[in-house]
Amino acid sequence: MRSFTIRKWKGRILASSLTITDVEAGYGSVRVLHGVSITVEDGESVVLLGSNGNGKSTLIKCITGIVRPSAGAITLDVDGVTTDLVGMAPQDIVGLGIAMVPEGRRLFPALSVEENLVLGAFRKEARPMIAENLDFVFETFPRLKERRGQLAGSMSGGEQQMVAVARALMSNPKILLVDEPSVGLAPILVSQMIAKIKELKDQRAMTVLMAEQNFNQAIKIADRGYVIVHGEIAYEGATAEDLSNNDMIKEYYLGA
Amino acid sequence: MFTFDLLINAVAAGLMLGGFYAAVAIGLSITFGQLDIVNIAHPTFVILGSFVAFVINESFGIDPVLIGVVFMPIFYFLGMGLYQIYYVSFEKTGQESLSGLAFFFGLMFILEVLMILAFGVDYRLVSAAYIGETLHIGPLDLPLRMLIPAVAATLMTIAVVLYMSKTFMGKAIMAVSQDRLALQLMGADPIRVKRIALGIAIATAALAGALLIIIQPVEPSVGRLYIGRIFAIVVLGGMGSISGTFFAAILIGVVESFIATFYGPSWAPAVGFGILLLTLAIRPQGLFGRA
Repeated sequence: MRSFTIRKWKGRILASSLTITDVEAGYGSVRVLHGVSITVEDGESVVLLGSNGNGKSTLIKCITGIVRPSAGAITLDVDGVTTDLVGMAPQDIVGLGIAMVPEGRRLFPALSVEENLVLGAFRKEARPMIAENLDFVFETFPRLKERRGQLAGSMSGGEQQMVAVARALMSNPKILLVDEPSVGLAPILVSQMIAKIKELKDQRAMTVLMAEQNFNQAIKIADRGYVIVHGEIAYEGATAEDLSNNDMIKEYYLGA
Repeated sequence: MFTFDLLINAVAAGLMLGGFYAAVAIGLSITFGQLDIVNIAHPTFVILGSFVAFVINESFGIDPVLIGVVFMPIFYFLGMGLYQIYYVSFEKTGQESLSGLAFFFGLMFILEVLMILAFGVDYRLVSAAYIGETLHIGPLDLPLRMLIPAVAATLMTIAVVLYMSKTFMGKAIMAVSQDRLALQLMGADPIRVKRIALGIAIATAALAGALLIIIQPVEPSVGRLYIGRIFAIVVLGGMGSISGTFFAAILIGVVESFIATFYGPSWAPAVGFGILLLTLAIRPQGLFGRA
Protein backbone atom coordinates (compact mmCIF):
# COMPACT_ATOMS: atom_id res chain seq x y z
CA MET A 1 0.00 0.00 0.00
CA ARG A 2 2.79 2.35 0.92
CA SER A 3 4.97 1.85 -2.16
CA PHE A 4 1.90 2.37 -4.31
CA THR A 5 1.31 5.70 -2.62
CA ILE A 6 4.92 6.77 -3.14
CA ARG A 7 4.86 6.06 -6.84
CA LYS A 8 1.70 8.01 -7.39
CA TRP A 9 2.86 10.86 -5.19
CA LYS A 10 5.74 11.83 -7.48
CA GLY A 11 3.37 12.88 -10.23
CA ARG A 12 0.81 15.01 -8.45
CA ILE A 13 -0.53 16.19 -5.13
CA LEU A 14 -2.79 13.62 -3.53
CA ALA A 15 -6.08 14.54 -1.98
CA SER A 16 -5.61 14.21 1.76
CA SER A 17 -7.73 14.97 4.77
CA LEU A 18 -7.64 14.55 8.53
CA THR A 19 -10.49 13.41 10.73
CA ILE A 20 -10.23 13.73 14.48
CA THR A 21 -13.04 12.13 16.43
CA ASP A 22 -13.76 12.41 20.17
CA VAL A 23 -10.10 12.71 21.11
CA GLU A 24 -9.25 12.75 24.79
CA ALA A 25 -5.69 13.37 25.91
CA GLY A 26 -3.59 14.80 28.67
CA TYR A 27 -0.33 14.72 30.55
CA GLY A 28 -0.15 12.29 33.46
CA SER A 29 -3.32 12.70 35.50
CA VAL A 30 -4.14 16.08 33.95
CA ARG A 31 -6.69 15.76 31.18
CA VAL A 32 -6.41 18.50 28.60
CA LEU A 33 -8.70 17.41 25.77
CA HIS A 34 -12.21 16.21 26.58
CA GLY A 35 -13.56 14.69 23.42
CA VAL A 36 -12.50 16.96 20.59
CA SER A 37 -13.73 16.34 17.05
CA ILE A 38 -12.52 18.33 14.07
CA THR A 39 -12.03 17.71 10.38
CA VAL A 40 -9.57 19.19 7.93
CA GLU A 41 -10.55 18.62 4.32
CA ASP A 42 -8.24 18.51 1.34
CA GLY A 43 -6.82 21.91 0.39
CA GLU A 44 -8.37 23.79 3.29
CA SER A 45 -6.71 26.03 5.82
CA VAL A 46 -8.31 25.48 9.15
CA VAL A 47 -7.40 27.46 12.24
CA LEU A 48 -7.62 26.29 15.78
CA LEU A 49 -8.21 29.28 18.02
CA GLY A 50 -8.01 29.56 21.76
CA SER A 51 -5.93 31.18 24.42
CA ASN A 52 -3.04 29.51 26.21
CA GLY A 53 -3.71 26.31 28.08
CA ASN A 54 -6.90 25.32 26.30
CA GLY A 55 -5.44 22.41 24.37
CA LYS A 56 -4.61 23.68 20.88
CA SER A 57 -1.03 22.50 20.99
CA THR A 58 -2.00 19.25 22.64
CA LEU A 59 -4.35 18.50 19.77
CA ILE A 60 -1.63 19.23 17.21
CA LYS A 61 0.72 17.01 19.20
CA CYS A 62 -1.86 14.22 19.18
CA ILE A 63 -1.98 14.37 15.39
CA THR A 64 1.81 14.07 15.07
CA GLY A 65 2.03 11.32 17.67
CA ILE A 66 3.97 13.34 20.22
CA VAL A 67 1.09 12.97 22.68
CA ARG A 68 -0.88 9.76 22.61
CA PRO A 69 -4.64 10.22 22.99
CA SER A 70 -6.28 8.13 25.72
CA ALA A 71 -9.45 7.83 23.66
CA GLY A 72 -10.78 8.76 20.25
CA ALA A 73 -9.60 8.34 16.70
CA ILE A 74 -7.32 10.30 14.38
CA THR A 75 -7.37 9.19 10.78
CA LEU A 76 -5.54 10.35 7.71
CA ASP A 77 -7.21 9.83 4.38
CA VAL A 78 -4.99 9.95 1.30
CA ASP A 79 -6.83 9.29 -1.96
CA GLY A 80 -9.20 6.86 -0.33
CA VAL A 81 -6.55 5.06 1.73
CA THR A 82 -7.30 5.56 5.41
CA THR A 83 -4.61 5.28 8.08
CA ASP A 84 -5.25 5.32 11.80
CA LEU A 85 -2.60 7.58 13.30
CA VAL A 86 -3.24 6.79 16.97
CA GLY A 87 -0.34 4.83 18.42
CA MET A 88 2.02 5.56 15.55
CA ALA A 89 5.42 7.08 16.28
CA PRO A 90 5.95 10.71 15.16
CA GLN A 91 8.57 9.71 12.58
CA ASP A 92 6.12 7.31 10.93
CA ILE A 93 3.34 9.90 10.87
CA VAL A 94 5.73 12.42 9.30
CA GLY A 95 6.59 9.70 6.82
CA LEU A 96 2.99 9.76 5.61
CA GLY A 97 3.33 13.37 4.50
CA ILE A 98 2.26 15.35 7.54
CA ALA A 99 4.79 18.02 8.46
CA MET A 100 4.77 20.10 11.59
CA VAL A 101 6.20 23.52 12.31
CA PRO A 102 6.55 23.13 16.05
CA GLU A 103 5.92 25.78 18.66
CA GLY A 104 9.22 27.47 19.51
CA ARG A 105 10.57 26.36 16.10
CA ARG A 106 12.85 23.65 17.49
CA LEU A 107 15.67 24.00 15.02
CA PHE A 108 18.95 22.15 15.39
CA PRO A 109 20.89 25.14 16.75
CA ALA A 110 24.40 23.81 16.11
CA LEU A 111 23.66 22.85 12.52
CA SER A 112 23.75 25.31 9.64
CA VAL A 113 20.60 26.57 7.97
CA GLU A 114 21.24 24.33 5.00
CA GLU A 115 21.86 21.27 7.21
CA ASN A 116 18.57 21.96 8.98
CA LEU A 117 16.80 22.14 5.63
CA VAL A 118 18.42 18.96 4.33
CA LEU A 119 17.29 17.11 7.45
CA GLY A 120 13.78 18.27 6.62
CA ALA A 121 13.99 16.01 3.58
CA PHE A 122 14.92 12.95 5.64
CA ARG A 123 11.77 10.99 4.89
CA LYS A 124 12.29 8.66 1.95
CA GLU A 125 9.57 10.13 -0.26
CA ALA A 126 11.13 13.60 0.01
CA ARG A 127 14.73 12.65 -0.77
CA PRO A 128 14.48 12.46 -4.57
CA MET A 129 13.04 15.98 -4.64
CA ILE A 130 15.60 17.56 -2.35
CA ALA A 131 17.27 19.74 -5.01
CA GLU A 132 13.97 21.13 -6.31
CA ASN A 133 12.64 21.72 -2.84
CA LEU A 134 15.82 23.44 -1.71
CA ASP A 135 15.62 25.77 -4.72
CA PHE A 136 11.97 26.38 -3.93
CA VAL A 137 12.50 27.33 -0.28
CA PHE A 138 15.50 29.51 -1.15
CA GLU A 139 13.36 31.29 -3.71
CA THR A 140 10.58 31.68 -1.15
CA PHE A 141 12.93 32.87 1.61
CA PRO A 142 15.90 34.55 -0.12
CA ARG A 143 17.27 35.45 3.30
CA LEU A 144 17.86 31.78 4.00
CA LYS A 145 19.87 31.42 0.82
CA GLU A 146 22.12 34.29 1.93
CA ARG A 147 22.56 32.67 5.32
CA ARG A 148 22.65 29.02 4.33
CA GLY A 149 26.01 28.43 6.04
CA GLN A 150 25.13 30.18 9.28
CA LEU A 151 24.34 28.16 12.40
CA ALA A 152 20.58 28.14 12.94
CA GLY A 153 20.95 28.94 16.63
CA SER A 154 22.66 32.24 15.85
CA MET A 155 19.81 33.64 13.74
CA SER A 156 17.08 36.05 14.78
CA GLY A 157 13.65 34.77 15.81
CA GLY A 158 12.05 35.76 12.51
CA GLU A 159 14.75 34.06 10.49
CA GLN A 160 14.48 30.96 12.66
CA GLN A 161 10.74 30.84 11.97
CA MET A 162 11.55 30.97 8.25
CA VAL A 163 13.91 28.03 8.69
CA ALA A 164 11.25 26.12 10.61
CA VAL A 165 8.65 26.62 7.87
CA ALA A 166 11.16 25.94 5.10
CA ARG A 167 12.36 22.80 6.86
CA ALA A 168 8.80 21.51 7.10
CA LEU A 169 8.31 22.17 3.37
CA MET A 170 11.45 20.19 2.57
CA SER A 171 9.58 17.04 3.58
CA ASN A 172 7.14 17.66 0.74
CA PRO A 173 4.10 17.55 2.99
CA LYS A 174 0.53 17.10 1.91
CA ILE A 175 -0.64 18.43 5.24
CA LEU A 176 1.15 21.20 7.13
CA LEU A 177 0.53 21.62 10.84
CA VAL A 178 1.63 24.96 12.27
CA ASP A 179 1.73 25.31 16.03
CA GLU A 180 1.64 28.87 17.41
CA PRO A 181 3.70 30.69 14.77
CA SER A 182 3.30 33.97 16.67
CA VAL A 183 5.13 32.89 19.81
CA GLY A 184 8.17 35.07 20.40
CA LEU A 185 7.85 37.06 17.18
CA ALA A 186 7.08 40.72 16.51
CA PRO A 187 3.54 41.21 15.06
CA ILE A 188 4.88 42.43 11.72
CA LEU A 189 6.94 39.27 11.35
CA VAL A 190 3.94 37.13 12.26
CA SER A 191 1.87 38.87 9.57
CA GLN A 192 4.57 38.27 6.99
CA MET A 193 4.97 34.67 8.02
CA ILE A 194 1.26 33.93 7.89
CA ALA A 195 0.98 35.61 4.49
CA LYS A 196 3.87 33.45 3.34
CA ILE A 197 2.30 30.26 4.63
CA LYS A 198 -0.93 31.15 2.82
CA GLU A 199 0.98 31.76 -0.38
CA LEU A 200 2.86 28.49 -0.02
CA LYS A 201 -0.32 26.61 0.68
CA ASP A 202 -1.86 27.88 -2.55
CA GLN A 203 1.29 27.27 -4.59
CA ARG A 204 1.77 23.73 -3.39
CA ALA A 205 -1.90 22.81 -2.93
CA MET A 206 -1.28 21.88 0.69
CA THR A 207 -3.75 21.40 3.48
CA VAL A 208 -3.02 23.56 6.52
CA LEU A 209 -4.06 23.28 10.14
CA MET A 210 -2.81 26.13 12.30
CA ALA A 211 -3.11 26.52 16.04
CA GLU A 212 -2.89 30.17 17.01
CA GLN A 213 -3.98 32.31 19.93
CA ASN A 214 -3.82 35.57 18.04
CA PHE A 215 -7.16 35.80 16.25
CA ASN A 216 -6.29 38.80 14.11
CA GLN A 217 -3.29 36.98 12.71
CA ALA A 218 -4.93 33.60 12.30
CA ILE A 219 -7.99 34.94 10.48
CA LYS A 220 -5.74 36.01 7.57
CA ILE A 221 -5.21 32.44 6.53
CA ALA A 222 -8.44 30.82 7.74
CA ASP A 223 -10.95 29.25 5.40
CA ARG A 224 -12.78 28.22 8.52
CA GLY A 225 -11.94 27.37 12.08
CA TYR A 226 -12.66 26.11 15.55
CA VAL A 227 -12.48 27.77 18.93
CA ILE A 228 -11.21 25.48 21.63
CA VAL A 229 -12.00 26.31 25.27
CA HIS A 230 -10.99 24.13 28.22
CA GLY A 231 -10.28 21.19 25.95
CA GLU A 232 -13.59 21.24 24.11
CA ILE A 233 -14.68 22.71 20.81
CA ALA A 234 -16.71 25.72 21.91
CA TYR A 235 -17.50 27.06 18.47
CA GLU A 236 -17.14 25.96 14.90
CA GLY A 237 -17.06 28.66 12.24
CA ALA A 238 -17.86 27.43 8.74
CA THR A 239 -16.26 30.49 7.14
CA ALA A 240 -13.76 33.14 8.16
CA GLU A 241 -16.66 35.58 8.28
CA ASP A 242 -18.56 33.42 10.74
CA LEU A 243 -15.51 33.40 12.96
CA SER A 244 -15.19 37.20 12.82
CA ASN A 245 -18.84 37.70 13.61
CA ASN A 246 -19.05 35.23 16.45
CA ASP A 247 -19.96 36.83 19.77
CA MET A 248 -17.56 34.77 21.82
CA ILE A 249 -14.66 35.66 19.57
CA LYS A 250 -15.70 39.31 19.61
CA GLU A 251 -15.71 39.23 23.36
CA TYR A 252 -12.45 37.37 23.82
CA TYR A 253 -10.30 38.67 21.02
CA LEU A 254 -11.73 41.76 19.52
CA GLY A 255 -12.66 43.55 22.72
CA ALA A 256 -16.21 44.25 21.53
CA MET B 1 70.85 19.57 20.93
CA PHE B 2 68.52 21.07 18.35
CA THR B 3 69.16 20.08 14.75
CA PHE B 4 67.08 20.30 11.61
CA ASP B 5 67.07 16.53 11.21
CA LEU B 6 65.79 16.07 14.71
CA LEU B 7 63.15 18.72 14.15
CA ILE B 8 61.61 17.30 10.99
CA ASN B 9 61.78 13.78 12.37
CA ALA B 10 59.99 14.96 15.49
CA VAL B 11 57.29 16.56 13.32
CA ALA B 12 56.93 13.44 11.16
CA ALA B 13 56.78 11.16 14.20
CA GLY B 14 54.20 13.47 15.74
CA LEU B 15 52.02 13.48 12.63
CA MET B 16 52.07 9.69 12.54
CA LEU B 17 51.38 9.38 16.26
CA GLY B 18 48.57 11.92 15.91
CA GLY B 19 47.08 9.97 13.03
CA PHE B 20 46.88 6.93 15.25
CA TYR B 21 45.36 8.96 18.11
CA ALA B 22 42.70 10.07 15.64
CA ALA B 23 41.80 6.44 14.93
CA VAL B 24 41.18 5.84 18.63
CA ALA B 25 39.50 9.20 19.32
CA ILE B 26 37.12 9.27 16.36
CA GLY B 27 34.80 6.63 17.80
CA LEU B 28 34.63 8.55 21.04
CA SER B 29 34.04 11.73 19.08
CA ILE B 30 30.86 10.11 17.76
CA THR B 31 29.60 8.69 21.07
CA PHE B 32 30.71 11.43 23.43
CA GLY B 33 30.78 14.37 21.02
CA GLN B 34 27.63 13.66 19.00
CA LEU B 35 25.44 11.43 21.15
CA ASP B 36 26.40 12.64 24.65
CA ILE B 37 27.12 9.04 25.61
CA VAL B 38 30.18 8.89 27.85
CA ASN B 39 31.57 5.65 26.49
CA ILE B 40 34.49 5.27 28.85
CA ALA B 41 34.84 1.69 27.57
CA HIS B 42 35.78 2.84 24.07
CA PRO B 43 39.54 2.25 24.52
CA THR B 44 38.73 -1.24 25.80
CA PHE B 45 36.89 -1.96 22.55
CA VAL B 46 40.05 -0.78 20.80
CA ILE B 47 42.03 -3.35 22.81
CA LEU B 48 39.44 -5.96 21.86
CA GLY B 49 40.18 -5.01 18.25
CA SER B 50 43.88 -5.50 18.98
CA PHE B 51 43.31 -8.99 20.33
CA VAL B 52 41.11 -9.96 17.40
CA ALA B 53 43.97 -8.87 15.14
CA PHE B 54 46.46 -10.75 17.32
CA VAL B 55 44.53 -14.05 17.34
CA ILE B 56 43.83 -14.08 13.60
CA ASN B 57 47.28 -12.82 12.68
CA GLU B 58 48.92 -15.48 14.82
CA SER B 59 46.77 -18.31 13.49
CA PHE B 60 46.55 -17.40 9.82
CA GLY B 61 49.24 -14.79 9.24
CA ILE B 62 46.75 -12.36 7.74
CA ASP B 63 47.72 -8.69 7.63
CA PRO B 64 46.48 -6.89 10.78
CA VAL B 65 45.13 -3.86 8.88
CA LEU B 66 43.07 -6.16 6.70
CA ILE B 67 41.78 -7.97 9.81
CA GLY B 68 40.80 -4.64 11.31
CA VAL B 69 38.85 -3.64 8.20
CA VAL B 70 37.13 -7.03 7.89
CA PHE B 71 36.05 -6.90 11.54
CA MET B 72 34.55 -3.43 11.26
CA PRO B 73 31.10 -4.77 10.24
CA ILE B 74 31.15 -7.27 13.12
CA PHE B 75 32.06 -4.53 15.59
CA TYR B 76 29.34 -2.40 13.99
CA PHE B 77 26.71 -4.94 14.98
CA LEU B 78 28.33 -5.25 18.41
CA GLY B 79 27.95 -1.48 18.83
CA MET B 80 24.31 -1.57 17.71
CA GLY B 81 23.60 -4.30 20.25
CA LEU B 82 25.41 -2.31 22.90
CA TYR B 83 23.24 0.73 22.22
CA GLN B 84 20.10 -1.36 22.40
CA ILE B 85 21.09 -2.61 25.87
CA TYR B 86 22.03 0.90 26.94
CA TYR B 87 18.77 2.30 25.59
CA VAL B 88 16.48 -0.28 27.18
CA SER B 89 18.31 -0.23 30.51
CA PHE B 90 19.00 3.46 30.98
CA GLU B 91 17.99 5.93 28.31
CA LYS B 92 14.40 4.78 28.09
CA THR B 93 13.91 5.41 31.78
CA GLY B 94 15.95 8.61 31.79
CA GLN B 95 18.77 7.28 33.96
CA GLU B 96 21.51 7.60 31.39
CA SER B 97 23.62 10.27 33.05
CA LEU B 98 24.93 8.49 36.12
CA SER B 99 23.83 4.88 35.68
CA GLY B 100 24.94 5.03 32.05
CA LEU B 101 28.42 6.14 33.07
CA ALA B 102 28.57 3.32 35.63
CA PHE B 103 27.40 0.92 32.92
CA PHE B 104 30.27 1.80 30.59
CA PHE B 105 32.74 1.80 33.48
CA GLY B 106 31.57 -1.69 34.44
CA LEU B 107 31.64 -2.79 30.83
CA MET B 108 35.24 -1.66 30.61
CA PHE B 109 36.23 -3.88 33.56
CA ILE B 110 34.22 -6.86 32.36
CA LEU B 111 35.76 -6.69 28.90
CA GLU B 112 39.21 -6.32 30.41
CA VAL B 113 38.76 -9.28 32.73
CA LEU B 114 37.38 -11.42 29.91
CA MET B 115 40.41 -10.57 27.80
CA ILE B 116 42.75 -11.33 30.71
CA LEU B 117 41.03 -14.70 31.21
CA ALA B 118 41.31 -15.45 27.51
CA PHE B 119 44.78 -14.10 26.72
CA GLY B 120 46.56 -13.57 30.04
CA VAL B 121 48.36 -10.40 31.04
CA ASP B 122 51.33 -10.77 28.71
CA TYR B 123 52.07 -8.24 26.02
CA ARG B 124 51.11 -9.55 22.59
CA LEU B 125 52.41 -8.67 19.15
CA VAL B 126 51.42 -9.13 15.56
CA SER B 127 53.75 -9.93 12.71
CA ALA B 128 53.73 -8.38 9.25
CA ALA B 129 56.51 -7.93 6.73
CA TYR B 130 56.54 -4.14 7.06
CA ILE B 131 56.70 -3.90 10.85
CA GLY B 132 60.49 -3.75 11.06
CA GLU B 133 60.94 -1.65 7.91
CA THR B 134 61.69 2.04 7.74
CA LEU B 135 61.20 4.36 4.80
CA HIS B 136 64.10 6.80 4.36
CA ILE B 137 63.42 10.04 2.53
CA GLY B 138 66.48 12.28 2.81
CA PRO B 139 66.97 12.97 6.50
CA LEU B 140 63.44 11.68 7.24
CA ASP B 141 63.01 8.26 8.84
CA LEU B 142 59.47 6.92 8.58
CA PRO B 143 59.03 3.59 10.36
CA LEU B 144 56.30 1.71 8.50
CA ARG B 145 54.82 0.43 11.76
CA MET B 146 53.92 4.10 12.40
CA LEU B 147 53.30 5.27 8.86
CA ILE B 148 50.82 2.56 7.84
CA PRO B 149 48.56 3.06 10.90
CA ALA B 150 48.66 6.82 10.35
CA VAL B 151 47.60 6.47 6.72
CA ALA B 152 44.87 3.95 7.56
CA ALA B 153 43.59 6.20 10.37
CA THR B 154 43.49 9.22 8.07
CA LEU B 155 41.51 7.30 5.45
CA MET B 156 39.08 6.14 8.14
CA THR B 157 38.64 9.71 9.38
CA ILE B 158 37.94 10.93 5.86
CA ALA B 159 35.35 8.18 5.40
CA VAL B 160 33.60 9.08 8.67
CA VAL B 161 33.67 12.82 7.90
CA LEU B 162 32.19 12.19 4.45
CA TYR B 163 29.51 9.93 5.90
CA MET B 164 28.56 12.55 8.49
CA SER B 165 28.41 15.44 6.05
CA LYS B 166 27.05 13.80 2.91
CA THR B 167 24.40 11.35 4.06
CA PHE B 168 21.00 11.92 5.64
CA MET B 169 21.86 9.48 8.42
CA GLY B 170 25.12 11.33 9.11
CA LYS B 171 23.28 14.63 9.48
CA ALA B 172 20.69 12.93 11.67
CA ILE B 173 23.51 11.65 13.91
CA MET B 174 24.79 15.22 14.22
CA ALA B 175 21.29 16.44 15.10
CA VAL B 176 20.03 13.72 17.43
CA SER B 177 21.42 15.08 20.69
CA GLN B 178 20.40 18.65 19.82
CA ASP B 179 16.68 17.98 19.61
CA ARG B 180 15.43 14.46 19.62
CA LEU B 181 11.78 15.34 19.12
CA ALA B 182 12.54 17.70 16.25
CA LEU B 183 14.42 14.86 14.60
CA GLN B 184 11.31 12.68 14.89
CA LEU B 185 9.40 15.46 13.19
CA MET B 186 11.86 15.14 10.29
CA GLY B 187 10.76 11.52 9.95
CA ALA B 188 13.82 9.95 11.60
CA ASP B 189 13.72 7.43 14.44
CA PRO B 190 16.18 8.73 17.06
CA ILE B 191 16.70 5.27 18.55
CA ARG B 192 17.71 3.89 15.17
CA VAL B 193 19.93 6.91 14.51
CA LYS B 194 21.78 6.43 17.80
CA ARG B 195 22.01 2.68 17.28
CA ILE B 196 23.71 3.22 13.92
CA ALA B 197 25.97 5.91 15.40
CA LEU B 198 27.18 3.68 18.21
CA GLY B 199 27.63 0.90 15.66
CA ILE B 200 29.91 3.13 13.60
CA ALA B 201 31.80 4.25 16.70
CA ILE B 202 32.53 0.70 17.81
CA ALA B 203 33.35 -0.30 14.22
CA THR B 204 36.16 2.28 14.21
CA ALA B 205 37.58 0.55 17.31
CA ALA B 206 38.12 -2.66 15.32
CA LEU B 207 40.52 -0.90 12.95
CA ALA B 208 42.03 1.33 15.65
CA GLY B 209 42.84 -1.77 17.69
CA ALA B 210 44.53 -3.48 14.76
CA LEU B 211 46.57 -0.30 14.20
CA LEU B 212 47.53 -0.11 17.88
CA ILE B 213 48.96 -3.61 17.94
CA ILE B 214 51.04 -2.83 14.85
CA ILE B 215 52.53 0.17 16.66
CA GLN B 216 53.18 -1.41 20.05
CA PRO B 217 52.69 -4.63 22.02
CA VAL B 218 49.30 -4.80 23.73
CA GLU B 219 47.97 -6.31 26.96
CA PRO B 220 44.31 -6.20 28.07
CA SER B 221 44.44 -3.16 30.36
CA VAL B 222 46.65 -0.95 28.19
CA GLY B 223 43.53 0.85 26.97
CA ARG B 224 43.32 2.72 30.24
CA LEU B 225 46.44 4.68 29.27
CA TYR B 226 44.46 6.21 26.44
CA ILE B 227 41.24 7.17 28.24
CA GLY B 228 42.39 10.57 29.46
CA ARG B 229 44.23 11.40 26.28
CA ILE B 230 41.40 10.62 23.88
CA PHE B 231 38.77 12.42 25.95
CA ALA B 232 41.17 15.37 25.94
CA ILE B 233 41.47 15.13 22.15
CA VAL B 234 37.70 15.05 21.62
CA VAL B 235 37.13 18.05 23.90
CA LEU B 236 40.08 19.93 22.40
CA GLY B 237 38.84 19.36 18.86
CA GLY B 238 35.38 20.56 19.80
CA MET B 239 32.40 18.44 20.76
CA GLY B 240 30.52 17.28 17.71
CA SER B 241 33.25 17.99 15.17
CA ILE B 242 34.80 14.86 13.69
CA SER B 243 37.35 16.78 11.64
CA GLY B 244 38.12 18.84 14.75
CA THR B 245 38.90 15.60 16.58
CA PHE B 246 41.28 14.63 13.79
CA PHE B 247 43.17 17.93 13.89
CA ALA B 248 43.29 17.90 17.68
CA ALA B 249 44.72 14.37 17.54
CA ILE B 250 47.40 15.52 15.10
CA LEU B 251 48.18 18.55 17.27
CA ILE B 252 48.53 16.45 20.43
CA GLY B 253 50.64 13.92 18.52
CA VAL B 254 53.04 16.58 17.22
CA VAL B 255 53.32 18.34 20.57
CA GLU B 256 53.96 15.10 22.43
CA SER B 257 56.56 14.11 19.89
CA PHE B 258 58.31 17.47 20.23
CA ILE B 259 58.36 17.30 23.99
CA ALA B 260 59.55 13.70 23.92
CA THR B 261 62.32 14.58 21.49
CA PHE B 262 63.57 17.78 23.09
CA TYR B 263 62.66 17.57 26.79
CA GLY B 264 62.06 13.92 27.59
CA PRO B 265 59.07 11.63 27.17
CA SER B 266 57.79 11.89 30.74
CA TRP B 267 56.60 15.46 30.11
CA ALA B 268 54.60 14.58 27.01
CA PRO B 269 51.19 13.77 28.60
CA ALA B 270 51.33 16.84 30.86
CA VAL B 271 51.81 19.11 27.88
CA GLY B 272 48.87 17.54 26.05
CA PHE B 273 46.57 18.34 28.97
CA GLY B 274 48.18 21.74 29.33
CA ILE B 275 47.12 22.58 25.78
CA LEU B 276 43.63 21.35 26.53
CA LEU B 277 43.29 23.57 29.60
CA LEU B 278 44.65 26.60 27.78
CA THR B 279 42.35 26.06 24.82
CA LEU B 280 39.31 25.67 27.03
CA ALA B 281 40.17 28.87 28.86
CA ILE B 282 40.33 30.82 25.60
CA ARG B 283 37.85 28.86 23.46
CA PRO B 284 35.45 26.84 25.62
CA GLN B 285 33.83 25.17 22.59
CA GLY B 286 37.17 23.64 21.57
CA LEU B 287 39.21 24.35 18.47
CA PHE B 288 36.58 23.43 15.89
CA GLY B 289 33.45 23.24 18.06
CA ARG B 290 30.22 24.68 16.78
CA ALA B 291 28.58 27.42 18.79
